[in-house]
Amino acid sequence: MQTLLEKAFVEPFQRLAEQLAAVVPALVSLVVILLVGGALAYATRRLVQRLLQMVRFDQFVAESGLAGTIERARLFRSPSDFGARLAQGAVWVFVILFALMAMPSEMTQSLVVRFVNYIPDLLAAALVLLLGTIISKFLARSTLLAAVNAQWPAARLIAGTVRVLVMLLAVVMALEQLRIGQSALLLTFAILFGGIVLAAAIAFGYGARDLAREWLQTKLRSREQETEETFHHL
Amino acid sequence: MENFLPSHLIERLAQIGEADIVVGIPSYNNARTIGHVVRACSAGLAKYFPHRRSVLINSDGGSKDGTPEVVLRTELEAESLLLVAPQRLHPIQRISTAYHGVPGKGSAFRTIFAVARQLNAKACIVVDADLRSIAPHWMDLLASPILDREFDFIAPYYLRHKYDGTITNGIIYPMTRALFGKRVRQPIGGDFGFSGRLAARYLEKNVWETDVARFGIDIWMTLTAIAEGFRIGQSYLGAKLHDAKDPGADLTSMFRQVVGSMFGLLETYEEIWKNVHSSEPVPMFGLPFDVGVEPIHVNVERMIKAYCQGVRDLQEIYAQVLEQETREGLLACSRLSPTEFRMPDELWVHVVYEFAAAYHRRKLDRQHLMESLVPLYLGRTASFVLEVQEADAAQVEERIEQLCAVFEAEKPYLRKHWGVEAGKESSHANPA
Repeated sequence: MQTLLEKAFVEPFQRLAEQLAAVVPALVSLVVILLVGGALAYATRRLVQRLLQMVRFDQFVAESGLAGTIERARLFRSPSDFGARLAQGAVWVFVILFALMAMPSEMTQSLVVRFVNYIPDLLAAALVLLLGTIISKFLARSTLLAAVNAQWPAARLIAGTVRVLVMLLAVVMALEQLRIGQSALLLTFAILFGGIVLAAAIAFGYGARDLAREWLQTKLRSREQETEETFHHL
Repeated sequence: MENFLPSHLIERLAQIGEADIVVGIPSYNNARTIGHVVRACSAGLAKYFPHRRSVLINSDGGSKDGTPEVVLRTELEAESLLLVAPQRLHPIQRISTAYHGVPGKGSAFRTIFAVARQLNAKACIVVDADLRSIAPHWMDLLASPILDREFDFIAPYYLRHKYDGTITNGIIYPMTRALFGKRVRQPIGGDFGFSGRLAARYLEKNVWETDVARFGIDIWMTLTAIAEGFRIGQSYLGAKLHDAKDPGADLTSMFRQVVGSMFGLLETYEEIWKNVHSSEPVPMFGLPFDVGVEPIHVNVERMIKAYCQGVRDLQEIYAQVLEQETREGLLACSRLSPTEFRMPDELWVHVVYEFAAAYHRRKLDRQHLMESLVPLYLGRTASFVLEVQEADAAQVEERIEQLCAVFEAEKPYLRKHWGVEAGKESSHANPA
């Protein structure tokens, strides 16, 4: 009777107690790590924001033309706020990884190891996207100004197309870096890019024959008019 | 000081020794016109400075049309030109050399400055190679105030068609006057006289990799001379007639180089211009006389179209640079019909000052910033052309005076946008 009682009640309780004894300290340390990590992330954000303001990061970003993109997103007060929150997010990622390492589970630990190995690829992809955004914005603005000063009627469309194509290239490169659908993505991009060029050529030659003729005539006319002008600006 | 001149030129200059006057002609594919310029300069030197040692140097940018050969081959024919046989103690030395560095007028000038320094010249003259209206007396008017009256810089004063020189009339002259306090009517005329010591001062500056090495050279020379306290004058040269088109000069890059260089100089000489509160005339040499100017064709409709497209397509850029009130003013102008199209002086002055401040504060990539000002400049030019189409030369000059007065009156607006606190300004009048 006593054995039955022990087997039915005492042993399960003992096992539960043993498991709890193994898990509770890990849980406590998880909570502590998250609390301390949260405070550390917040402090990092404040510190980074101060530093970025000191080195006039907002002004630098304004010059590069990215400020408009950040402002339009309406998620951040300023480029330095964006940078500070990015740093806070990075600290949070490390805190969460550290907290998961504290868990006595093989699954979480292997997850952490895989994630850590993946970090360089993530950073490279983020860098590619960042550069892609800066370059696409700069090239689009250069194209827009050149087209407006040449008085091309579709200046904004041309500039927008340049921006989309450069961004598309950056996204494909970033996804390739992350090893997501490598061959399929490259193939899709090649088909898409080739398709756009072909479609533009066909549209210009056939679909918009009249528009093409009119545009060329306008261009030639304005060239003629320009050469007619005999005054000097200087 | 580093000597960047080629060794064969240094040897030639060593043979010459010293010179009183150096005349420099920058060129690039000007074979058609440079012969006339060389003849006029040589005749002028023979007539007005027969006892001075003179050197004529052509600083060429690699012409493919035989420009240097024309310079060296051109016969003076002084007797038929001057109706006298000049009794010269020293023959005029003639040199043609290729300049090194960034391709452009400024780099060509740098070589001329270095030659003047090497020869220890007292006066130096530079004239454009595509001039059709240059006459021998230009040499006298540009060099004599320097040799005889201790002036350091002589700017040209021309009679031009009322539609000609719109960057000068709409931006450069009013800003030079409002900001630096000197009424130099043609600050980017291109034909200047200057002293040997000013040439040496120019050479000390490290600007030869910037737009100053291109079309920015003229405004840079003028403003450097004014801001650094050199003695300034101007000489009446009559009409200025160019060859049909400057080779390779497209408006956008020319505008960027000239106006960008001026905005850059506002940074360099910030302490000077912020303490200038009025403008004064500069001494004038030569007898003003009336001349006929060639008729000019201007396509106003195309300019208005360019302006309207700029206002429509570049809104995002203007939002980063211009105040809302200014943008609304520009938008209102773009809604006017081509016959009624006008851009008020105050609006134009605000546009220029806000762009100058944006250049200083690096609100945008500087090249993009300057390029985005071009459509607005074309709008202002169209407005000016429409406004003065019935006016005579004197009325046009009066109209430009009005614009200058607005530039001067609105100077506090530039200070405000630049970031200069009003209380920090000193009270003395005009140190420049």
